Amino acid sequence: MFKKILIANRGEIAVRVMRACKELGIKTVAVYSDADQDSQHKQFADEAIQIESYLHADVLIQAALSSKADAIHPGYGFLSENASFASAVDSAKLTFIGPSADSIRAMGDKAESKILMKKAGVPTVPGYEGLESEDEFRKAAKEIDYPVLIKASAGGGGKGMRIVEEETGLVEAIQGARREALNSFGDEHLLIEKYLADAHHIEFQIFGDTHGHIVHLFERECSVQRRHQKIIEETPSPLLTPEIRTRMGEAAVEAAKAVGYYNAGTVEFIFNPTDSSFYFLEMNTRLQVEHPVTELATGLDLVQWQIRVAAGGHFPYQQDHLSQRGHAIECRIYAEDPANGFLPSTGKLLQFIEPHGPGIRVDSGFRAGDTVTHFYDPMLAKLIVHAENRETAIQKMEAALRDFVVHGVTTNIDFLQDVLSHPDFAEGKVSTRWVEKNMGSGSLFPKDRPQAVGFHTLIAASLADLSTPFGHTAGNRQANTDGRNESDPYNPWKNPGSFRN
Amino acid sequence: MKLTYGHSTLDLTPTGKSYRAAMDDKIVDVEIIRAGNGQLDLLIDGERVTAYVSSDKAKRWVTINGRTTLLTKSSGARRSGGKNEHSGELTAPMPGQVRAVNVSEGDAVTKGQTLIVLEAMKMEMKIQAPNDGVVKKMFVKQGQTVEREQILIDIL
Repeated sequence: MFKKILIANRGEIAVRVMRACKELGIKTVAVYSDADQDSQHKQFADEAIQIESYLHADVLIQAALSSKADAIHPGYGFLSENASFASAVDSAKLTFIGPSADSIRAMGDKAESKILMKKAGVPTVPGYEGLESEDEFRKAAKEIDYPVLIKASAGGGGKGMRIVEEETGLVEAIQGARREALNSFGDEHLLIEKYLADAHHIEFQIFGDTHGHIVHLFERECSVQRRHQKIIEETPSPLLTPEIRTRMGEAAVEAAKAVGYYNAGTVEFIFNPTDSSFYFLEMNTRLQVEHPVTELATGLDLVQWQIRVAAGGHFPYQQDHLSQRGHAIECRIYAEDPANGFLPSTGKLLQFIEPHGPGIRVDSGFRAGDTVTHFYDPMLAKLIVHAENRETAIQKMEAALRDFVVHGVTTNIDFLQDVLSHPDFAEGKVSTRWVEKNMGSGSLFPKDRPQAVGFHTLIAASLADLSTPFGHTAGNRQANTDGRNESDPYNPWKNPGSFRN
Repeated sequence: MKLTYGHSTLDLTPTGKSYRAAMDDKIVDVEIIRAGNGQLDLLIDGERVTAYVSSDKAKRWVTINGRTTLLTKSSGARRSGGKNEHSGELTAPMPGQVRAVNVSEGDAVTKGQTLIVLEAMKMEMKIQAPNDGVVKKMFVKQGQTVEREQILIDIL
């Protein structure tokens, strides 16, 4: 087993991986950029090394060698799906906690992996790969028929992706997608495919060891999305019957086997609920953001297993030993403003109070007093609940969201409550474009609500304003009462009873 | 004592043990059960209300029952009318970095034309001309970091 692991990531996922290491008795090394000087992941580790960027492979490997780590966990994003990084880690006689560089390479290119899947007999979305000129794209789009989807071959996370409704928007979409693809992945190749409008996004967790044993750990329904990025994920999917689940699971395992896969991975499918057809979308060769719902429903700690398997251990569970228990839901808490087109919000976290209770898990990388900058992804935390069935899981999530208090940046917490309480969500009818459609029609998160400030809200603000120390101590764990003015009749701090617990 | 947030004004009067709060024709009795660490436990006309409140300059964040409201506190007398906002000034809808500047001062632009491209957290956002016109002034350069609401360009 490893003695020390360097975590080549930041934020909640770095903290999540370090927790697993601590549980296994493994020392941890954090890396942090200038903007992350005071970050939680830096403080949580046994050692921390400053770096310029989370994308500099050489520097990360050097940091691992100099700190005498024996393995590197890449987390998600950054270099997690970079095949050259994985092979450079191997060359440095370190262990990359993830699949082989070859598997990453084969699945990393969306165009190439689609060709591979077609060969392996896994169904794929109609479309074309390897086109260059705008003319070729125009011809292809006409043939597969609008709406079409343009996406970065090297892409992921909705970056370098554009839906094109008609021909007039094609050229600008290609240019924009190319620029984004180049900025995010250093590769401007695009592919084009049919855009399936009311489809659901259902993915299967794959897990394998280096001894040839590979299984799936069931599905995650990830259809609640905005800007092609997931915001709510759950398992089991309310749409799958046991028969379809088995078929999709088998297809996912086939897809993974086609590239000799080991460690944790995810096979994403587009699912059409009208005829239960499904198509391979892509394979993510890393741990997913939403892995906790699978952990809660299967009872497995995926990160611990990633580490054991990377160290050469056997994954002991056979497919028919595995089952889904109860229902798990994850909500991604983002620093963003749903009323302002979900654009990111930055600032200092004045309050950050996480919910607690039976069946509630919070994976976060922030605390009160931390600053949310525009340098990185605006996800603050993941809130995950587990309950006996879908209905009670939704109720638990709604209650947990109400208990999650974040001040200083605008968040999507109120918006998530609106989604969860929407009848379409209760009925499992949410497709990938649902948020966009319902925001437009105003049936979700009406824009005029912020105008109507509640009476109670005003009372609370006024009472807080009557007292200087209140404002100053907000977000601070220690109550500072030195500055209160004893002679002020308005001061709520005047009454000593106010401080009784 | 009157306190104003945005368009709403509340009148608060201490009544010894508690406060009387009035807004428009609504009047309630408010008792503070506990206060501290940015949290207020109140009894409003006998109803138990927990509020989380934070301040940052004029901004007030208030969360009650899981719903968060951002208020702006008005200081004293408000100037009515204010200064006439120039309609051609385009501001940044999000904090981020200027990725591309496609036009220069004096250039003629057409409605819908992409003038500036902003990027934050690897997401692109186009700043487009709201109407036909001429670039009167460009306030930003490529690579520059901008705050939300910062003026980027003036179109005449």
